[in-house]
Amino acid sequence: MVDRISGQLERYMDLLSSRQKLVASNIANADTPGYHTRDIDFQREFLQSAGLEPQVSEVDGLRTKNDGNNVSLDREARLLSENALRFNVASQLMRSRLRGVRSAIQEGRGA
Amino acid sequence: MSLFSVLSVGASGMAAQRQRAELLVENLANAETTRTPEGGPYRRKDAVFESATVESPFATVFGAQLEAMGGVAVSEIVVDQSEPERRYQPGHPDADKDGYVAFPKINTAEDMVDLMGASRGYEANVSAISAVKDMIQRSIDLMR
Repeated sequence: MVDRISGQLERYMDLLSSRQKLVASNIANADTPGYHTRDIDFQREFLQSAGLEPQVSEVDGLRTKNDGNNVSLDREARLLSENALRFNVASQLMRSRLRGVRSAIQEGRGA
Repeated sequence: MSLFSVLSVGASGMAAQRQRAELLVENLANAETTRTPEGGPYRRKDAVFESATVESPFATVFGAQLEAMGGVAVSEIVVDQSEPERRYQPGHPDADKDGYVAFPKINTAEDMVDLMGASRGYEANVSAISAVKDMIQRSIDLMR
């Protein structure tokens, strides 16, 4: 990537999409008997070096229903919009960094 | 692992919930059916879900097996095997010699509630897809 911050942003967006996939699969499995909510430890994964597949673990502290399923749609809905918003912010930041690079390329041409 | 595979996960959820809703509507429609091709009254059907791998058709062609786990599928359709409900209707053509007719054991209220659940589950999957679609759009905007 262009510089260190852009690299970090890329990692952040990568992790957000991994997490969004888990949220989507939790929602898809909201009625699957015996299914347990899965998530990643966002902070720990972010501090780890890039390129590693994030570790998926089951979430504790959720109420298990009679069929052994512990998906809470409220939790997933919150994470779904949170991830989308965070991704939005990160992509705006990335855009402004790219704009900087682009203007450096284009403005330098005239000289 | 890409955002596009998340769309397949959401789609699998929509397909499963839709199939469940179809079965529930079939149950409601057949709540009074006393004749079936198998003989006897209609029997209630329900879908059992299991988590399953989703495949994006492109991934298989591309040779790259994306991390696939996460979708949902209908693993089996259970047919209710409990005894049918017997109602005394001597005039009915399907009445037995004592005048009782075997009707399907279907609780309409229960099926209506399940139908609402299926519909909400479908909506939740649609929201997941539209949130992811928005993220994909943002990534595409980076190229502009």
